[in-house]
Amino acid sequence: MEMAEPRIGVYVCNCGTNIAKVVDCDAVAESAAQLPGVVVARSYKYMCSNPGQEMIVQDIEEHSLERVIVAACSPRMHERTFRRALESAGLNPYFLEMANIREHVSWVHDDGEEATQKAKALVHAGVSRVARNEPLERMSVDMCPNTLVIGGGIAGMTAALEFADAGKKAYLVERLDHLGGNLARVDLTAPYLDSARDIITDRVRRVTESENVEVLLDAEVRSLEGFVGNFKATVHQNGRPGESGSDVALDVGSVVVCTGYKEFDASRITHYGYGKLPNVITSFEFERMLREGRVETKEGKPPQYVAIVHCVGSRSEEFHSYCSRVCCMTAIKYAREVKSALPGCYVSDVYVDMHAFGKGMEDFYERSSELKTLFLMYERGGHPVIRKADPGDDCGMLIQVDEQLSGEVIEIPADLVILMVGMEAREDSGDVARLVNISRDKDGWFIESHPKLDPVATTTEGIFIAGTCAAPKDIPDTVAQARAAAARILGKISVGKIEIDAVYAEVDEDHCSGCRICNELCPYVAIEYDPETKRSHVISALCKACGACVAACPSGAIKARHFTDEQIFAQIEGVLA
Amino acid sequence: MSYEPRIVGFLCNWCSYAGADLAGTSRIHYASNVRIIRVMCTARVDPTFVLKALHDGADGVLICGCHPGDCHYSEGNYKAMRRYPLLKKLLADYGIEDERVRLEWVSASEGKRFADIVDDMTERVRALGPSHVQADLASDMAER
Repeated sequence: MEMAEPRIGVYVCNCGTNIAKVVDCDAVAESAAQLPGVVVARSYKYMCSNPGQEMIVQDIEEHSLERVIVAACSPRMHERTFRRALESAGLNPYFLEMANIREHVSWVHDDGEEATQKAKALVHAGVSRVARNEPLERMSVDMCPNTLVIGGGIAGMTAALEFADAGKKAYLVERLDHLGGNLARVDLTAPYLDSARDIITDRVRRVTESENVEVLLDAEVRSLEGFVGNFKATVHQNGRPGESGSDVALDVGSVVVCTGYKEFDASRITHYGYGKLPNVITSFEFERMLREGRVETKEGKPPQYVAIVHCVGSRSEEFHSYCSRVCCMTAIKYAREVKSALPGCYVSDVYVDMHAFGKGMEDFYERSSELKTLFLMYERGGHPVIRKADPGDDCGMLIQVDEQLSGEVIEIPADLVILMVGMEAREDSGDVARLVNISRDKDGWFIESHPKLDPVATTTEGIFIAGTCAAPKDIPDTVAQARAAAARILGKISVGKIEIDAVYAEVDEDHCSGCRICNELCPYVAIEYDPETKRSHVISALCKACGACVAACPSGAIKARHFTDEQIFAQIEGVLA
Repeated sequence: MSYEPRIVGFLCNWCSYAGADLAGTSRIHYASNVRIIRVMCTARVDPTFVLKALHDGADGVLICGCHPGDCHYSEGNYKAMRRYPLLKKLLADYGIEDERVRLEWVSASEGKRFADIVDDMTERVRALGPSHVQADLASDMAER
């Protein structure tokens, strides 16, 4: 059967010089122009820009284009953008294909010749495939206006309050028997030295009093099923001692994950003597002292010398390569608090680099110079060594620092050493990721949909992340993320309907033999067998389009919409042409 | 004769394709021989995709999915894992060398691992020389 080739437009993005500096974009466009069905092929500086998108829209009208290829960045980045452009020109959005010639070509290859060849092959694959793409209609389903917030720290409480203030229901699930998270363990906050307790107490009160927030303490989310707009969560709430717990079933449209961080275990660094030297403590233990209003050694005496050691577990090849962001300014805060509690005390600050980013922080750091703190710089990757002082010394411990600015090995006295422990992903972050179906990066932090443009969404529709479960951050950034996630969800709630991707599996019941192999394979129980007709069919709203049933069907009766055998075969032919 | 192997890569959308994207954003350079085709899950990789690629002239086929336990669809990669030995057996019967088809797990955070796998596979397939599938097909046709 001779199929009339649809009219195809090919757009090769230069991405400024991101693609064009390696790939010969003009050559890619010229070669694409020779392919069957291609009526227009252009190379342009920025396809995602407004003029770039307008170019596509205009060409669709002028050249009666029926299919579009955009060779640019990853479809994970801009597929949505270009699908919208097609829609605005009246073309079905599934008539778009993207060829990933940035992340998969220009950013990973340096040989221009080879990169251009590969880009041509990927464009060829796109052209072959797109000719076989079918128009698909998205489903519209009701958006459940309730939201599940996991984690009752500052992020979770802030998000829950946004929903409450908008008159929407939020379920706030906290594993512990109290709200507040890690921030509840902090005394004052940098740089304005306002009390963490005030920040927390106000929010705990509002969350607890709000009619719209249901707080579930001593509880854990056990399962999450369904899809965006229509999730079913099962939350297990522990009973009082002696009582058995109970499961609560919740209907929610979206989920905000605010599970926070845990502090680095300082005993992993042996030469700091944490756990062995009683007066080597962590920043959180020092916060506790501050909240209790006493700065003293284990012996109950006020220290004459306090030393603060930065980057404990952070910025290290051995432990975590990243910066934990909040410790440097917290250390400066400690210097200030020690001086205020014990004016005669000598404070030394043993750091690697002083990171003072964030509003007001550089001034805060500048002002700390009035405190007469002794700043000593140690080498990244090196470690100061802490040991017990000798009898007769006027201090409890001695810290040996290979000081970088003077180039000398210096020994300083200390009665109390505060280790600025960094943030790390919680040990159960993998379980949480699997529960809500999101990914983690190499350090265990949850991965956002886009690090710059979409920082609170994830690649799973309806699941959002906020605060330190995504990466170390301070209170203002955490609060901003929590409110941003809530705003994104409230936007969807106000529309009331949600569009579901048109990509799902379909059974051709004429070819179905009723063998039921697919029924068992589907992880979402989305395939139903009808004993009347002796055929299986897919419940499209439940299908998540993995395609397992498609590959397994012995009769070839199941079609993966937008990932059909014909489309993938065409792509294979294209890359190998 | 100089020979550049052509390898078709089937990458799952959630882990491995994102991992390949991360190799890009991290600017980790690797061999240009793998042409990536995105599928939603390795469970979608019908054995005929692999046969089709070899038939059409691929010197190797790389399938990458989420690590066991981390599948976006909870268990799709296990299905791929179970299907794979059967496919390998079939390929061995056809006389296709073991190293031409490979199944690997690459998470969204393993850009470096993806680059290393591509480099390693490219070298192994290069060492094997061009696939003989197309030549065999041609001689089969001639005999008929």
